[in-house]
Amino acid sequence: MAFPQEPMSGIKKIKNYINGEWVDSETREFGDVWCPATGEKIAEVPFSTAADVDQAVQAAKEAFWDWRCTPPLTRARYLFKLKDLFENAFEDIARTLVTEEGKTIDESRGEVRRMIETVEHATGVTTMMTGYNLEDIAQGIDCTAERQPIGVFGVIAPFNFPAMVPWWFLPYAVVCGNTYIVKPSEQVPLTQTRIFEIIDECGFPEGVINMVHGAREAVNGMLYHPDIKGMSFVGQSATAKYVYKACGETGKRVQALGGAKNFVLIMPDAELDRHMPSMITSFYGCAGERCLSGSVLVAVGDVYEALKEKFVRAARALNVGNGLEEGIQMGPVVSKKHQEKVLGYIEQGIKEGAKLILDGRNIKVDGYPKGFFIGPTVFDEVLPDMTLAKEEIFGPVVALMRVGSLDEGLKLIENSEYGNAACLYTTNGKTAREFKYRAGASMMGINLGIAAPMSFFPFGGAKGSFFGDIKGHGREIIQFFTDTKVVIQRWT
Amino acid sequence: MALSTFGAIMGFAAEMVRETETFYKTMLRKVEDPVLREVFRVLAEEEAKNCALMERTRRENVTEMILEPVAGLHQGDYEIAAAEMDQAGDADLLNRALILEERAHRFFSTVSDKIPLPEVGRIFRKAAQRKEKSLIKLKTLGSAYSDAAGLDGFVKSP
Repeated sequence: MAFPQEPMSGIKKIKNYINGEWVDSETREFGDVWCPATGEKIAEVPFSTAADVDQAVQAAKEAFWDWRCTPPLTRARYLFKLKDLFENAFEDIARTLVTEEGKTIDESRGEVRRMIETVEHATGVTTMMTGYNLEDIAQGIDCTAERQPIGVFGVIAPFNFPAMVPWWFLPYAVVCGNTYIVKPSEQVPLTQTRIFEIIDECGFPEGVINMVHGAREAVNGMLYHPDIKGMSFVGQSATAKYVYKACGETGKRVQALGGAKNFVLIMPDAELDRHMPSMITSFYGCAGERCLSGSVLVAVGDVYEALKEKFVRAARALNVGNGLEEGIQMGPVVSKKHQEKVLGYIEQGIKEGAKLILDGRNIKVDGYPKGFFIGPTVFDEVLPDMTLAKEEIFGPVVALMRVGSLDEGLKLIENSEYGNAACLYTTNGKTAREFKYRAGASMMGINLGIAAPMSFFPFGGAKGSFFGDIKGHGREIIQFFTDTKVVIQRWT
Repeated sequence: MALSTFGAIMGFAAEMVRETETFYKTMLRKVEDPVLREVFRVLAEEEAKNCALMERTRRENVTEMILEPVAGLHQGDYEIAAAEMDQAGDADLLNRALILEERAHRFFSTVSDKIPLPEVGRIFRKAAQRKEKSLIKLKTLGSAYSDAAGLDGFVKSP
């Protein structure tokens, strides 16, 4: 397999994919897509209109019945073929992703791998989608519960995982017999565009899988469209709440995954040297732009000084640069605007009295003077009521706090408005059990810093991190994409 | 350059294996001794398989949640000087093969201990074992050359 160095050149004008064809949006409004490492514009994305969305919905609606009547195993065979095509294009997708999002090539490969894993998992539909039955629920009367597809579903995806996140939902929706519309983030539309080229090659029936690019109008076009039966969303909590409400108003099924403020507790008995690489990955992986990133590093008891010294030393040693270069350990943040936002949080931290002990503000990356880089940053003496300890920063900024006991650490988690993930480092099984039993977050890591459920387990948080009932992927997602029809019969 | 990420390690491994495969394939045409030619042919086939294995490992074993920095590996420790092979005889080619195989053996052995991904560690350990066999094969052949030429210590360990 060839490993292309430059997946794209020139300014690309992006199209929607509707009913098996690449079509221009009717909009006159376009957004710019940037390469975060070079700071150069690489594409223009259409801000599609509600009419564009409607066109996609009509295509998906039209395709639904035939697709719904296609045997599940036949539907799964499309996914088997798709998996093979994804493997062949693996490196190309990964490089496209780095070019527009900025993460490192390893992180990108890891993301593409996880995208493929959901396809692999969804091929098990013939087992996962089965219903259940019971004879003689009353004399001579039998009852069955059958899972049926529902219709058109859609996803509104975030910028930080342009390949993977739509695929937390899409393969399951489609393999269950629904039809689908993807709206990628307008900041990173190229990865899904490349993926849809592969979908096109795979030969799905027209209208089964569609893509509409855009921003607010496209989002509202989906949320308020009467023929869309359910929506998945991943992004900021405020928007997740908005999506949840809109879907409630329009009677849609909804799963809206929001933001996070993840606490990572280090017990005095933790093996610091052994686990330091994983702690560093937790906070600085993907430049801190993930909902599972560690955000607040909490030293419990007398581990504080040793932890601070080792963590700052390891953070300072990180190799920051263009993610396309092998060996780079942290790339830029996604955009100039986001860079300014994260820098604003650093200023706020200083203003509120936290002590900046590793300053990533003025990092210079050789060869990339216009890139949106922020170096690894660490604040010490962060207090619970400071902005740094409360708000989602989504950047490579670590708030270091100290508490006297596990109870105090758990209190911090309990008081957070978010409940996405929490991690603990310890060598004590009892402490670990206590932590996972009591902590108010839905994804827990013990001796690892990124508690990322794989496709066969559910992904989603609690409190302000999740609005809905059924989370992303995992076996439960089949419930989201199917209706349970109960049939009661008497033939005696 | 430090090989401090999974991708950097796998990239270097793939490059190293490709270089060795190219060497065997190219030199097959130059080798005069039929025994050595057969050894090179077999090793070229093995390297082609290794190449596919490295690329597959890079693609399928990248686990985003544990992409942790790797310490203590440096590309410089495994770089070898380019050699002009146009005028090389069988003995020179054999020596060059030994250098390439010894490097690969050393690299795979070291990485298998250092990489924090057990599955990748296992793949590298197996690769190191195969390299050990290749080295024995080449060294045996080298000894035969030395005996025939009445030379002592013909095969120099790099």
